[in-house]
Amino acid sequence: MNEIVAPSNKETNANESSGLHKDASFETLLEVEKISLSFGGVHALDEVTFDIRKGEIRAIIGPNGAGKSSMLNVINGFYQPQQGFIKYKGNERKKMSPQIAASQGIARTFQNIALFRGMSTLDNIMTGRNLKMRRGIFWQMIHWGPARNEEIHHREIAEHVIDFLEIEPIRKTPVGRLPYGLQKRVELGRALAAQPDLLLLDEPMAGMNVEEKEDMCRFIIDVNEEFGTTIALIEHDMGVVMDLSDRVVVLNYGKKIADGTPDFVRADQGVVDAYLGVSEK
Amino acid sequence: MFYRETGQFKSSYKADQAIFPITQDRWFILFIFIIAFLVIPLTASEYLLQAVMIPLLIFSLAAIGLNLLVGYAGQLSLGTGGFMAVGAYMTYKLTTAFPEVNIIVIFILAGLISASVGFLFGIPSLRIKGFYLAVATLASQFFLVWMFNKVSWFYNHNSSGTITAPPRELFGVTVTGPTATAETRYIVALAIVCVFALIAKNLVRGRLGRSWMAVRDMDIAAEIIGIRPFQTKLIAFSISSFYCGVAGALMVFLWLGSAETEAFSINESFYVLFMIIIGGLGSILGSFLGAAFIVCVPILLTNAPQLFGLSMPIDLQKHIEIMLFGFLIVFFLIVEPHGLARLWQIAKEKLRLWPFPY
Amino acid sequence: MEIINFLNLVFLAPFVEMVSYPIFFSEVIISGLLTGVMYSLVALGFVLIFKASGVFNFAQGAMVLFAALTLVGLMEHGFPIWAALISTIIVLIVLAFVVERFMLRYLINQEDIILFMATIGLTFLIQGFGETIWGSNVKPLDLGIPSESFELGGLLLNEFDLFAAGSGAVLVAVLAIFFHYTRIGRALRAVADDHQAAMAVGIPLKNIWIIVWSVAGFVGLVAGIMWGAKSGVQFSLSLIALKALPVLILGGFTSVPGAIVGGLIIGVGEKIAEIYWGPLVGGAIENWFAYVLALAFLLFRPQGLFGERIIERV
Repeated sequence: MNEIVAPSNKETNANESSGLHKDASFETLLEVEKISLSFGGVHALDEVTFDIRKGEIRAIIGPNGAGKSSMLNVINGFYQPQQGFIKYKGNERKKMSPQIAASQGIARTFQNIALFRGMSTLDNIMTGRNLKMRRGIFWQMIHWGPARNEEIHHREIAEHVIDFLEIEPIRKTPVGRLPYGLQKRVELGRALAAQPDLLLLDEPMAGMNVEEKEDMCRFIIDVNEEFGTTIALIEHDMGVVMDLSDRVVVLNYGKKIADGTPDFVRADQGVVDAYLGVSEK
Repeated sequence: MFYRETGQFKSSYKADQAIFPITQDRWFILFIFIIAFLVIPLTASEYLLQAVMIPLLIFSLAAIGLNLLVGYAGQLSLGTGGFMAVGAYMTYKLTTAFPEVNIIVIFILAGLISASVGFLFGIPSLRIKGFYLAVATLASQFFLVWMFNKVSWFYNHNSSGTITAPPRELFGVTVTGPTATAETRYIVALAIVCVFALIAKNLVRGRLGRSWMAVRDMDIAAEIIGIRPFQTKLIAFSISSFYCGVAGALMVFLWLGSAETEAFSINESFYVLFMIIIGGLGSILGSFLGAAFIVCVPILLTNAPQLFGLSMPIDLQKHIEIMLFGFLIVFFLIVEPHGLARLWQIAKEKLRLWPFPY
Repeated sequence: MEIINFLNLVFLAPFVEMVSYPIFFSEVIISGLLTGVMYSLVALGFVLIFKASGVFNFAQGAMVLFAALTLVGLMEHGFPIWAALISTIIVLIVLAFVVERFMLRYLINQEDIILFMATIGLTFLIQGFGETIWGSNVKPLDLGIPSESFELGGLLLNEFDLFAAGSGAVLVAVLAIFFHYTRIGRALRAVADDHQAAMAVGIPLKNIWIIVWSVAGFVGLVAGIMWGAKSGVQFSLSLIALKALPVLILGGFTSVPGAIVGGLIIGVGEKIAEIYWGPLVGGAIENWFAYVLALAFLLFRPQGLFGERIIERV
């Protein structure tokens, strides 16, 4: 199982950022440096800087409209920031396409479920393997020999993911028919199938009941501990965030207002003000 | 009672990924093959072959091609007729220029040319989506048909402007042209359609098919998991045009014998689209069922008045036929918008439980 | 030499010709504009229905034919023109009712492509029905509109064309007023924005659809009268729907001004191309030129002439 979703062991250039709570024993997987992004006149992100260390669970929190989803979209190349750059696995980049991000091991889930509704659970998870499949179109036409072996090999990996997420009974059900909680799980499965080094989760627990949340938390912790996958997640449930994450970055109106361990962030006056509002005295 | 998968355990992913995982299905398909390859050619009349079976096969091929594009990749196209014309005219040009080359090779070459034309006309899909794209594909329909009409080089400058299938042999048997028998033309068409249907099935159950469906269902999400939507759509346009091109070639060479650009009009595009909607979007089997429906209904409608002993003027009959045809389409879409393939699936599920549905 | 000659023919000679004979060039443009008005009228019918119900109504062309056929058919049976007009409008309202009651009602919440296919089926149905009742031979339509040609400042103009353009303009103005200042108009715009929200504030969706289809039928009738008076009422009327489609992609599916401006651009562009470049490639390029023009345009502005910029989000 470990070789299945294990991150590649490529050495990253351990280039420490000037983060608030740096610890020399950690390697940095991703650095976000002074990223600014605006749509027309609206500043979604304003000179945001933080880093994600290898193997940690990093939460991004903030009130609605703080720019959290935009941040994930910048990291995986869907939005191009106007300023700043991103350093991933030691390589600095300003622009990148989602495809390149995906091929370098960044996978994600979405705030509003973005599954392929007409396809079965298995097929959805298999699309996560797409980038790893090599056989050309002519082999696919014949579907024999190497092409079939490749298909079977990747099917095995997909089945491990299905196993891990405990969704065996819905393997062949079209995802459009599944309840919300299961759809979220399948979406996580699709991201896991790509065996990512960095997993971005956009509100993985939104709209779930307590049981489903507990399940999801368990999966997130398991992914992180068993496979060592680095995880960056956005979540509104503060209890979950404080329990799960190693470090938290807080955004408000596109600006970073705090960064540190859950306890540190919870005590920060700026964060409390952002969430509860500042009373006018 | 007889249609049970109980006790049929699949012990490998290979078995689970087979096209027909259930034993009874395999027997059924074998039965169909025996009928198609042996019983029909030996017993069917010339009329049945020429008016029903051959067009059914050819339109099935075109429908599979369009289904790959519309049903799997989600790109609505109204340019089928144009691509069929490319296949037909290119086959004509190639086989008159190189008479000694095997006609099957010619069909495939013409299909490849058609694929490259489809590639070109697929480029707008980079920027536009949905109905805008559908209307844009009409450009290919009108432009291609106009070109084959105007540029006499395509029909070897003959005065009538028609292309006629010259006699060509395969294994010493004449398969095209006026001397070829309906039986041989049927067998050749059947063999070609079977091979291409199998290839289509293989494509849609593999990586490419999943990429197509991903782009169809949610192109942005597909992009983020690393699928290149534009490339994927262009491949869909090319392969779809390949199928349509070969179908167009077969239409002239194995069915009609000769044709003008009229045969590839916009109506042809609509008919093929009807086939996949009625048969079932995103289903290879549905392409066959839909083609059968669209080919057979007009024949039934034409013959129905005589069955009841009615006689009516030809043009009135034609109008009523058009009206009924339109009515059937609307009716069908209301009753089962997911097509015959879905009905087939439901029937199978019912049969699985029969006779104890609870 | 060949190439220079070719380049000359394609890129220079036509423009030289335009400049050397400005009067003829103006006449070409005017005739293009007048054809464009007709295209706009047909496109308008599409836009109305698409706006209010999200249905890409391929049957608009068949509705044009059906309306004109009914009008001519009734006149042939001795109806005076006003009675024929009123009866035709009633028939069109009944048609709208039937379409809503027996088709749209059952297809709510289906995918767009299914609805689109259903309207193609409807095209066949209406066309077959119209021709079954009224026959398929070409019928002349004489409304007593003068069609003399006259000269104005050296330009040769036709009274009928001006009349057509004028009534087109009046129709568009009336529709604009209807949409902006009446209660029904406001309801229509609300439905166009969001079906469910409109229903939630108590707008009866079904009535709105009947109204929209009736108005689209009426617009079709006007278009049918114009085309029919020009070239007789016949099957080919339903084919002008195909001409209106590039207008739609140019102007945007939901924009009334887009339909009008798009129609004019297509009308003029097509005429100029046919007259100055058509002979180079053997003529009859009208069938596809509009599409290529619209397509070229779309590559630079995918949202159409008046559409809003599309922002993609996840």
